[in-house]
Amino acid sequence: MTKGCRYGTHRVLEPKGTLPQPAYRLDNTMSIYDNEVLIDVSTLNIDSASYTQIKKSCGSDAGKMEQMILSIVNERGKMQNPVTGSGGMLIGTVREVGKNFPANKLKAGDKIATLVSLSLTPLKIKSIKNLSPDSDQVDVDAEAILFESGLFAVLPEDIPEKLALAVLDVAGAPAQVDRLVTEGDIVCIIGGGGKSGILCCYQAMQNVGPSGKVIVVEYSPVNAKRIEELGIATDIIIADATNVMDVYNRVMAVTGGRGCDVTVNNVNVQSTEMTSILITKGQGCVYFFSMATSFTKAALGAEGVGKDINLIVGNGYAKGHANLTLNIIRESKAIRDLFEKLYV
Amino acid sequence: MKKGNKYGIHRVIEPKGVLPQPANKIDNNMDEIYDNEILIDVQTLNIDSASFTQIEEQAGGDKAKIAEIMLGIVAKQGKHRNPVTGSGGMLLGTVEKIGDALIGKIDLKVGDRIATLVSLSLTPLRIDKIKDIRSDIDQVDIDGKAILFESGIYAKIPADMPANLALSALDVAGAPTQTAKLVKPGDTVLIIGAGGKSGMLCCYEAKKRAGVTGKVIGLCHSEKSTNRLKDLGFCDYVFSADATQPVAILEKIEELTNGEMCDITINNVNINDTEMTSILCTKDTGIVYFFSMATSFTKAALGAEGVGSDVTMIVGNGYTKGHAEITLQLLRESDKLRKIFTELYA
Repeated sequence: MTKGCRYGTHRVLEPKGTLPQPAYRLDNTMSIYDNEVLIDVSTLNIDSASYTQIKKSCGSDAGKMEQMILSIVNERGKMQNPVTGSGGMLIGTVREVGKNFPANKLKAGDKIATLVSLSLTPLKIKSIKNLSPDSDQVDVDAEAILFESGLFAVLPEDIPEKLALAVLDVAGAPAQVDRLVTEGDIVCIIGGGGKSGILCCYQAMQNVGPSGKVIVVEYSPVNAKRIEELGIATDIIIADATNVMDVYNRVMAVTGGRGCDVTVNNVNVQSTEMTSILITKGQGCVYFFSMATSFTKAALGAEGVGKDINLIVGNGYAKGHANLTLNIIRESKAIRDLFEKLYV
Repeated sequence: MKKGNKYGIHRVIEPKGVLPQPANKIDNNMDEIYDNEILIDVQTLNIDSASFTQIEEQAGGDKAKIAEIMLGIVAKQGKHRNPVTGSGGMLLGTVEKIGDALIGKIDLKVGDRIATLVSLSLTPLRIDKIKDIRSDIDQVDIDGKAILFESGIYAKIPADMPANLALSALDVAGAPTQTAKLVKPGDTVLIIGAGGKSGMLCCYEAKKRAGVTGKVIGLCHSEKSTNRLKDLGFCDYVFSADATQPVAILEKIEELTNGEMCDITINNVNINDTEMTSILCTKDTGIVYFFSMATSFTKAALGAEGVGSDVTMIVGNGYTKGHAEITLQLLRESDKLRKIFTELYA
């Protein structure tokens, strides 16, 4: 076996000198280096922005979508959508572990989900077995490589695979909420009705305790109703998050003009940075999980209104994030039932 | 006086419902001010460097044309937001009138000289006459008036330094102040883009906070700025490299830190594709502060996850409490900084 780099730079074909993620093309030869893991892939969970883009450009035609996915992987050696830049994750079974992969972590036969993005994972698809335009989980016969620095979770026995995959996909969000939110905080979750939003709300409610508030701003009345039924928010505002002054006035009304200690932005639409900034109180913190966030709009926006707040770039990884998120599914039967209905 | 909105929404003409910065046109009538506004008699506009460069190019370097373009922008929008770059700048002026609702609530009085620290891209402005254009430092002297909103931030120009020197440092006041907040004794700090205006201020402040047990590493690009930073003596180590090459820099930082990597990385470099370098050089429990406007949100977010780093990444906020005072104090504390800023920027 040849010796590999911890970050997988040995697989980069072009441009040379970059890391696997920004690389245009990766070497997807499926014989492993000494610090890699070879995986037999059963399901790809395509990132939702990427899947939506593919679906739109193929007019929701399953056959065309299959072709598009195959051609991306053929060209780049990885499933990185050239338009959105994003990837997703996968489930599979470990076939071979390199002798220099960190010891005692994995063995052949383990069922795992990779928690690093498909946008940097060498992948070779033999065939697509099942694709439905309505579900971003695609069943495949494929092989993939996990690098030494790559994150993964061994799939639990008490949770069905696809459910586990659906929640692990957004595991970073509730884990960061757990770190940021403390007892008595006022928290606002923008885009609270989606998958990561629901998990964030649940965790925020646990952390704020009886004296805090969890406010959800949600566009869709159906999603808002769901949050209400789950009982995972103290206040629900149905509004368009891009309408800055409307959201600002309503959040101020709920908080008695104080604003929020922590604002978590989960909404995948553009131009919600100012809304997040204005509803957050001075010295507070905005956590941007949305991939639609513009760095300059956030940076210049806060300065423009003279707000001394922490603006944080959402990191999909936090230590222990997989366990925390799977535990939410174990603890809350209501969320488990809902996710099984919606995402499996 | 009419009652105004804290963020200046009462001045937005179109489109309705947006804040003054994204607005296409704002009301720059200065005959009457709202109760929470400050009227400023403007002396100098410090045009954002990206914006000034664009205007200068469009005018082919001709000063009369530069003046014409600037007057055109303000006539159309009621503010000086460059339609191409979207950016503004700051201004220097004298307080002429203070709205009733602010009297006694702020530390300003009529006649104070101030610099506004909010962008010109959201500041109502009227230009009566352009008096002088100083192309080499992006400054334009005018007769005119401007409005500062209640949420607008400003700094009083101190008596002990020339206004231009103060203005040049205030322009990047956010960076050294955030450095002061983040860096603790004993920290290892990497500053990327350490040889530029905000980089030098950050290096000085980082060393002050990290102390003798800490380590400050400055990464520069050009040989000239590398030597300049070495001569200033603020850093424990200064080296020159291309910040877009993560692997080479990672190896260098491993060597300099005995493989421990940095507690805090501050990115000040205005070029694309330096996110991964910043993330990889930082400890997994550390902090990356992105001041560069060239930062890509998705490259940072997906990049950290991609290499399994639990690093905290912060979007540089140009405003933090006390930033003007802290930054001006640096020029008083360090003769070296004051000298180089006077030479290069004032």
